Amino acid sequence: MSVDEVGRWSSRVGSRVFRRFVETRELMLLVLIVAIIVGMSLASPVFLSLANFHAIAIGMAPTVIIAVGMTVLLVSGGFDLSVGSVLALASTVTALLLLSGASIPLAILGALALGAVIGLANGIVVTRIGVNPLVATLGSMSIARGIALVLTEGFSLINLPPAFGWAGRAEILGVPFLLWTALALVVVFDLAMRHGSFFRQLYYIGSNEKAARLSGLAVDRVRTLAYMLSGLLAALAGVLLASRLMSGTPTAGNALELQVLAAAVIGGASLRGGEGTVLGAFLGVVFVALINNAMTMLAVSIYWQMIVTGAVLVVAVALDMLVRRRDD
Amino acid sequence: MAAPLLELSGITKWYGTTRALGDVDFDLRQGEVHALVGENGAGKSTLLAILSGVVAPDKGTINIDGRAVTINEPSKAQALGISTVFQELSLAGALTVAENVFVGRAPTACGIIRWSELRRRTQQILSAFGIEIDVDRPVDRLPAGTRQLVEIAKALSLDARILLLDEPTSALTSNEVAALFAIIARLKSRGMGIVYVSHHMAEVFRIADRVTVLRDGERMTTRAVAETSIDDVVRAMVGRKLEIFTAEATLVQGPVALAVRGNGAEGKSRHLELEIRFGEVVGLAGLMGSRRSELARSLVGLRQPSGGTAIEVKGRPTRLRGLRDAMARGIAYVPDDRKAEGLFLSMSVTDNFVVTALRSFARLGWIERAAATAAAGRAVERFRIRVPSLEAAAGKLSGGNQQKLMLSKWLASDPAIVVIDEPTRGVDVEAKGEIHKEIRRLAAAGEAVLLISSDLPELFAISDRIVVMREGQIVGDLPTPSATEEIVMALASGTGHKLEGEAA
Repeated sequence: MSVDEVGRWSSRVGSRVFRRFVETRELMLLVLIVAIIVGMSLASPVFLSLANFHAIAIGMAPTVIIAVGMTVLLVSGGFDLSVGSVLALASTVTALLLLSGASIPLAILGALALGAVIGLANGIVVTRIGVNPLVATLGSMSIARGIALVLTEGFSLINLPPAFGWAGRAEILGVPFLLWTALALVVVFDLAMRHGSFFRQLYYIGSNEKAARLSGLAVDRVRTLAYMLSGLLAALAGVLLASRLMSGTPTAGNALELQVLAAAVIGGASLRGGEGTVLGAFLGVVFVALINNAMTMLAVSIYWQMIVTGAVLVVAVALDMLVRRRDD
Repeated sequence: MAAPLLELSGITKWYGTTRALGDVDFDLRQGEVHALVGENGAGKSTLLAILSGVVAPDKGTINIDGRAVTINEPSKAQALGISTVFQELSLAGALTVAENVFVGRAPTACGIIRWSELRRRTQQILSAFGIEIDVDRPVDRLPAGTRQLVEIAKALSLDARILLLDEPTSALTSNEVAALFAIIARLKSRGMGIVYVSHHMAEVFRIADRVTVLRDGERMTTRAVAETSIDDVVRAMVGRKLEIFTAEATLVQGPVALAVRGNGAEGKSRHLELEIRFGEVVGLAGLMGSRRSELARSLVGLRQPSGGTAIEVKGRPTRLRGLRDAMARGIAYVPDDRKAEGLFLSMSVTDNFVVTALRSFARLGWIERAAATAAAGRAVERFRIRVPSLEAAAGKLSGGNQQKLMLSKWLASDPAIVVIDEPTRGVDVEAKGEIHKEIRRLAAAGEAVLLISSDLPELFAISDRIVVMREGQIVGDLPTPSATEEIVMALASGTGHKLEGEAA
């Protein structure tokens, strides 16, 4: 093999490896996450501490839970702007039920049912009536937030029964229960999206809805269930948040829907539907959370964090577009 | 004699290795309607596309008033006085008639549209040709036929001298056709030259002065309508030698699998009766507007059957509640548009294959990948689908292989009755032959097949019977050996042949 050939061979392998790297979004994110952790450990003594990781984990758990539902929806070609409001509503409704004397399981079930019902309503309005998901969930975002504020007149509800705080405080093997819950959901739904016959249908629907219909899939029913799942998971996140804060907060989760969308898209989901994985969305959330944490550690202003998150989102998607265009 | 308004000579156009047009001559005089006819794929659309500046010819010259011109862009065609009314209308539905007629050219003052002037000018054009439409109506609210007239008014507002009409009557009722013909007559008397592309022989012989027949991209003949007959024209259209692989007639035919009974639409005494038996391939022929796709879609539950008709599945009157209902009864529908309706282009070959039978590959809701991959592998082998790997995206396959994948995917659900719409459009010859064999094999295995195709040789090659539709009714039902392309074309275009099919 001549030098020339070796050069060509190595550059070909190099570009193939690079492409594979960019194409497998999970791998790319994993490498970037490790890079941030290594870099920050060198730059800040506080970063690599149990307390800091604990804070990151607890802070991002609700976002991860919501990102699971959002990814399922994105794959089916839909999306849900109401998740932040549903989180707030679920947190206040749980608190209200508890304060009115309901038992803890009943209060939790009530909030979860409400989230599922809002998701069902979103699903019906989108699939049966044909309202654009942006408009439909923009509406329910406003309605859910409004109800939460009306119910509480804008104040947080406190003095919840101490036992309710268990989920927010508990740790199993040194890891917060909140994170265990989020991780369990990630694993279950990631596998279900890869191998489950029900959830596989979402990829077909998102990739070509017309063909999916003509292939005999129950398109409307499946999409409606995806909206229900998104509402249910947002409500679950709200209940867990209420438990951690020991209050029902009507203003919680403001602009959370955009953070979740950004994380899912960074993780490889597409607004056009048909692609994305729960694992990717999870890594997207972790990545964004780490960047924000790193900037806090480095004493960068919170306002700068928004700018960086936005830039990361656009760069990730632009990179993806460039790779695809070269493929075609 | 003055130079003709428009003269094409030696026009040749290749798409890759396929010749769409070969050395075609064509001319158009002032005040003349010149019809352009031919089967699907004969080159009519390509010729129109060349004249309207959408594609450029590889060879040949175009003269207007005896001067050579190049039409390399649609705007150039407009500047030369050529206006085209394509089959797919290009109107903005939410805007008014006036805005559509003057799209992009509305009279303005300081950048503000002068609405009254716009209305006045539109009204002027419309009344000059005896078209009565409210110019303030959004186009969406007009009936299909009236929309066609708006499209023509748009062409006229460009001061066109040459008007190209592509199947202008395919969506019109007979009253609307009469109105259109009156307008065409008026345009003729003003010296406009009109190229009229149509499948309907009766219309061509009513409105045209001359007719040119294209076949396989070549001009067969140009004749004055007065000096020729429908029979001659149809013969020129289909006269090719057929490369028929003749199907062995199925010996044993089973009971009736799928049937349509009753009369067609709205009180008109329309005949619509069709039976498909297990073990046979029934070919459904018909021109554009014959409503045969509508019939097919009602057979698979995708639309309500038209008034007065009932569908029978396996001898029992059945109301199909939707495609899923039809599938549950063992009916599969293979649509004609593989990219838009058939395949998931970004997903893998295996994913595409298993979609119709997801549940049968799953245990406790879990898809067994290995089983799915193995089944997809067997289908790829059986249908000889050439794929880089089973994990390759369906969008990367060639047209013929995509088509085979689509067919295999529906057969994966193990249907007893298969309705196939245009199975070989845009598919190479070899894949075509394989698809034909596969369809015959279905019938041999006892399944009932309804094949819809615009490709007559294809229908002849693989059908046991050929059923002809025109304007929503069945006008012929012939055993393949006793049919000829001439008979089928004559029935389909309604040229007065009253041939009673034995079975009808």
